[in-house]
This record gives sequence, structure tokens and C-alpha cells, in this order.
Amino acid sequence: MLNRLFVQCPQCQTTHFISFFKSAHYVCSRCGHHSRLDPPRWIKQLCDRGTFHSLFANLKSLDPLGFPQYREKLEAAVRTASGWEAVVTGHAEIGGVKAALAIMDPGFIMASMGSVVGEKIARLLEYAAGHRLPVVMVICSGGARMQEGILSLMQMAKTAAAVRLLHGKRQPLITVLTDPTTGGVTASFAMLGDVSIAETGALIGFAGPRVIQQTIGQKLPPGFQTAEFLLEKGMLDIVVPRRNLRATLVTVLKIHQNRPYPVSWSGDE
Amino acid sequence: MSAIRKILIANRGEIAVRIIRAARELGIQAVAVFSEADRDALFVRYADQAVCIGPPPAAESYLFYQNILAAAKSTGVDAIHPGYGFLAENASFAEACRAINVTFIGPTPQAIRKMGDKATAKRLMKEAGVPTVPGSEGVLDSLSAARTLAGEIGYPVVIKATAGGGGRGMRIVAGEKELENAFNSAVSEARQAFGDAGVYLEKFIENPKHIEIQVLGDKHGQAVHLFERDCSIQRRYQKLLEEAPSPVLDDDTRAAMGRIAVAAALAVRYDSAGTIEFIYDGNSNQFYFIEMNTRIQVEHPVTEMITGVDLVKAQILVATGEKLPLVQADVRKAGHAIECRINAEDPQKGFLPQTGTLRQYIVPGGPGVRVDAGVYPGCVIPPYYDSLLAKLVVWGETRKDAIARMKRALSEFIIEGVATTIPFHQKIIQHPEFHRGTYTTDFIRKITAAEGGGSC
Repeated sequence: MLNRLFVQCPQCQTTHFISFFKSAHYVCSRCGHHSRLDPPRWIKQLCDRGTFHSLFANLKSLDPLGFPQYREKLEAAVRTASGWEAVVTGHAEIGGVKAALAIMDPGFIMASMGSVVGEKIARLLEYAAGHRLPVVMVICSGGARMQEGILSLMQMAKTAAAVRLLHGKRQPLITVLTDPTTGGVTASFAMLGDVSIAETGALIGFAGPRVIQQTIGQKLPPGFQTAEFLLEKGMLDIVVPRRNLRATLVTVLKIHQNRPYPVSWSGDE
Repeated sequence: MSAIRKILIANRGEIAVRIIRAARELGIQAVAVFSEADRDALFVRYADQAVCIGPPPAAESYLFYQNILAAAKSTGVDAIHPGYGFLAENASFAEACRAINVTFIGPTPQAIRKMGDKATAKRLMKEAGVPTVPGSEGVLDSLSAARTLAGEIGYPVVIKATAGGGGRGMRIVAGEKELENAFNSAVSEARQAFGDAGVYLEKFIENPKHIEIQVLGDKHGQAVHLFERDCSIQRRYQKLLEEAPSPVLDDDTRAAMGRIAVAAALAVRYDSAGTIEFIYDGNSNQFYFIEMNTRIQVEHPVTEMITGVDLVKAQILVATGEKLPLVQADVRKAGHAIECRINAEDPQKGFLPQTGTLRQYIVPGGPGVRVDAGVYPGCVIPPYYDSLLAKLVVWGETRKDAIARMKRALSEFIIEGVATTIPFHQKIIQHPEFHRGTYTTDFIRKITAAEGGGSC
């Protein structure tokens, strides 16, 4: 949708001309809805120009369970998305600070986590531990990938263990939770950040609100599972609009490196 | 590109009236767009057709380009004139006009974008041989870099936001002790106000004059300058009174500034009316590029008065692809022009903007007097937009004649119902330093401080 001249906000239906939308960081100037971004656009938003180098890009998913139509789904996703799988991993400089970087791609089977996503996340964490780099993860996911069944669920334990490895080298994991972050990804590395940042208005949860409402038979509080709600309950550290995200990351990274940081410390506006 | 038959004016107030006048003289139909607060405004009455584009707040009307583009399509216009302010220097808007096959009356999106980013603009100007204020190359990313650079170029220095303007996000630093605080607060203000924490640092020129050169380019690679305007009479970076030519420039400096302004315009293939702003240090007779305004400016009439060139008409014609109507040798200046901005602001109350109904509105006339206004007797001044009511412009054979004429015209201008800046202009025009012409950008601060009018 972002390749056309005019785009429509999925939330309020306002039409935006693409270059206005771009300079507003793909956020609706009317209702504030943050559009989902693919990894190349995230790299442009967050990284110093020309500093991103991709790692583990050649890993491709197989169909270990022979799940109906999974192969077709994967092929279709590879054709339309920007990479071979639902996460792009690599390293880059952000405000002059070198960091390992993982960016999930909502255009690839809703950034669900199968064996390859889990493997790339785990390898990136190992790489960062080995090179003593901080890790920034831009997270978005529909959860574990059902087409890989138990193998997907196993990625939760694997990625969580890899975070532990990073911590052993005293390097931070900085997570940026974007809309939507759900399921097995929330239940593993997404909630293990040393600094948990979320974008304004992002939906973050394990099971969706409808499922919870039906299970517990109670009405959910207003704003349930939004970034702001989670911040209030102490589940997140910072909620920022996308235009301030890069500056916030630079600040967090520089504080960690004990380098002078220019931005006064305020995550919220 | 074919001729324009119908034009939409994406603006309001006096500049919308000014553009309608130019269009009409060119035989072009004018479509006004207006917010609900401007339903009875003069420019709406004058237009051949008018379309309401939204509620009073500018963000929902004059800045809500979606409705403006829809109005352009539904009225079948060939071109959009953005005026000044609002969307005039928005490269995305110029692109959007192009995307719906409507001519944007102004420069190319590329030129707007290049000149809109101060760091890029400065680098490009340096490359084109335009003198710039000594300072940082691009964005400064740390306090230590700021400290080193400030040490090299010498204090006082000024820290400015890359995305800023009008003095916002700006810090003057007298010495190294103040640098750390100023740097951090400029960065956080830049981030808060513009969403972009980029700042740069440069030498602070004390008490400069603000002198700008009008340029005009076409799509055939030609550009001319139309001499300078002296806009040093400002309050908080808002211009109050402008004159042309500047009373202090000698002919050599004037010619050099003009030549350099044309080089600057050609460097970005500038193909419309624009202004190169310089600060001029009277002590050293040095001038430095500060920025380029890629639009028609409020004070364009003073240039029109001394050169006889209708800048708005020329802007429309070059937008259709016509060649410039004149070469540099044809551009002559004669006499002296002064403009006073008559704002609905109360100088007694710290220039607080006024709203209300114009109970009386009598405009001056007679030889050499021009009034560009967006108001009429009985009209309502809404609180949503800038406070400019009218521009009183006079011409005289000499500066002395022009001053006498302005004094006379100001005394004829009667506005009742809202307080205006007329009495304040009467003070300026009689001030000995104004008569000498050596005033600098701190003139207003000095005279209000001398009066004890503290809030200036």
C-alpha cells in the first residue's frame, strides 16, 4: 500500500499523498495511526544512512510438518516481502553507536515466528554477545507460526536462552514493540528487553482481547492491551510517537555506552 | 506547458486578494478556498468561484491539502498558487499538485526541499561561492564537537535547529561557560518543536542588518535579481517595516549581493520568484547568506514599487513555462519604497493579537500610496490566523520623500474596532535612527526598552 501515490489511513480513512505521509513517518496526521512498516523503511527511519549490513539473510524456511498450503504461503510471502523470512537481522549504526538489529516484517505471514525467525533472532543475539554489541529489536508479530507447530513453540525457549547469553556479556536488549506484538513472540524475547519501548497506540498482548473476553466472561477495561495501558501498569518503560523513536533510541544507546547524549531524558511528550 | 485559464489560491487574507488581482489582469479565473471562519472574507467575495475546505483551524482547512486538491479537481483549475505561509514551502504539496496534473505556481519540489533544509542549503550555497556565516558543516552530534568548533570560530556563537525558523530553537552563547546548557536545551527544544533534534552552530553576528535580494528565475535556466529590501525592523524575528533600496548599501556591495543571489538561484535551478536572505554586518561591510525563501514574500510590493515589475504576474507566467519578461540589464530601480505592516496587534499590550469587527476602515490614498489589504469596513477579524490586516506601501523619489509620504499616509489610515500597529509605525517613522537608516535588527527592542514597554 505504501508504493502508491495516495494512501488511505486504515483507521480514519483519510487520504494522504505519499510524500506527506513519508515525511510524517507513515503516521496519519489526522488520527495518529501508525502504519506498519517493512524492514527497509524501518532501516531508513532508524539507522544512520548506509550503515546497515545484513546478517544470516540466506536462511529459508522448509515445511517440516508438510502442513497444507504452507509452501504456497511461503512462496507468496517471499515474492511480496523484502526478504526470505519474517525477520531481517544485521548490524548498523544508530546515532553513531554500533548495534545489532532485528526488524520483523508484518508483510511476511504477519511476522509469525517459525524455526527460521527463531534461529535468526538467536544467532543475532549470539553475534551481539560475541561482538559485545547492544541489540535493538523492532518487534511485531502475530505470534508463533502455526504451520510449524511445536517447532515454532520451541523457538520461544531458544530465543529466551539467547537473551540470557547477551546479558552474560553485559550488553542490553532494547525492544521496540510495534503494532501488533502478540502471541509467542510477546511470551518470549519481546518481553525480555532491558529497556522496553513501544510505539504510540500499539496493540501488545499474548491472546487477543476477543479471546480473553470470551474466556473470562468479563468486560475488559478501556484501552486494554494498548501501549499506553501497559505503560501505566508497569509493563513498558517508554511509549513514543514514531517521529521521536530514533532520538529515543540514540539516547538509550548513548546512556548505556556512558557517552554524552544530547537529548534531555523524556520518553513521553 | 499550456497557458493557465483558471487558478486556485490556496491561501487567505491580503495575499489571496493580491493573487486574484494579478490573475484578473492576466485574464485568468480565480478560485478561492476558504475555512468556515472566512466565509465573508474579502478574497472570497473577489474570487470568481469559492470552495469551503473545512473548519476554522488551519490544520483542518488551509493546511489540509487533501481538501485543497479535491477543490482543485472539482473546479477544474490548471494551477494552484500557494501564496506565503501555509503550504507555500512544502515540497510534498508541490509534488502532490504535480501528481494530479495541476501546475504548482512556485519552484520545483527539489528546489524547495534543498533550500528548506538549512544545513543542505548552506552547503549548496558554499559550493556555489555564496558567502556563509562561519560554522558547522551539517548537524552537530555532540557537545564536545560544539565546544571545539565554537573555540575555533570564536564566541559569541549561536546554536540553531536544522528544522527551525523564526527564531525558534535558537540559543545565543556568549562564552564557553554557557555552551553546555545552551546546546542541550536547543537540542531538546528542536526535538520537541520539530521532531528533529538536529542542531548546528555558527558565529553570532551582533546587530546585523537583515537584507534580502529578490530573484526571479524561469524554466529556461535564466534568473535575474530585482535589488534588495532592508527588513531589519523586526520584533522577535517578525518583520514590521521594510524598505527598498537599503539606505546603507553602497553600489558596489549592492551589485555584488545581486550577482551572488543570482548565482545562488541558479545553483538550485530556481524557476520562480524567491528571496535570498543575507545578514549584513555594517561594520565590516560583509554579508552572509542565511536562507532562501522559496515563495512570494509579504514584502514583495516594495520591490514592485521601485522596479515596476509585477512579481505575482511574473511568477504565474514563468510557471507556465514562459521566458522571463526581462534580462538583468532591463531591471532598473527608481526612487524609494517603504512598507508598513498594519497588524491587528496592540503595541500597548505586548503586541497581543486582536480580534473583533472593523467598525471604521478608511484607507489612505493620493500619489504614491498603495494599500494591499484583505479586509473591508464591517468585516470580522477571526482569531485563528496571522494578524496582518493590510500593507501600507508608499513610493517617493527619494527616501526623504518616501518617509514624509508614509508619515502622511499613516495619519490618514483610520481603523476602529481593533487595536493596530499604526501608532507604533508612526513612532518608527519619526525616530532619528530610522531617518539615519543605520538601524539594525535590535532597533525595536531598543526603542521599546527605552520607553519602558517591557514585554518586547
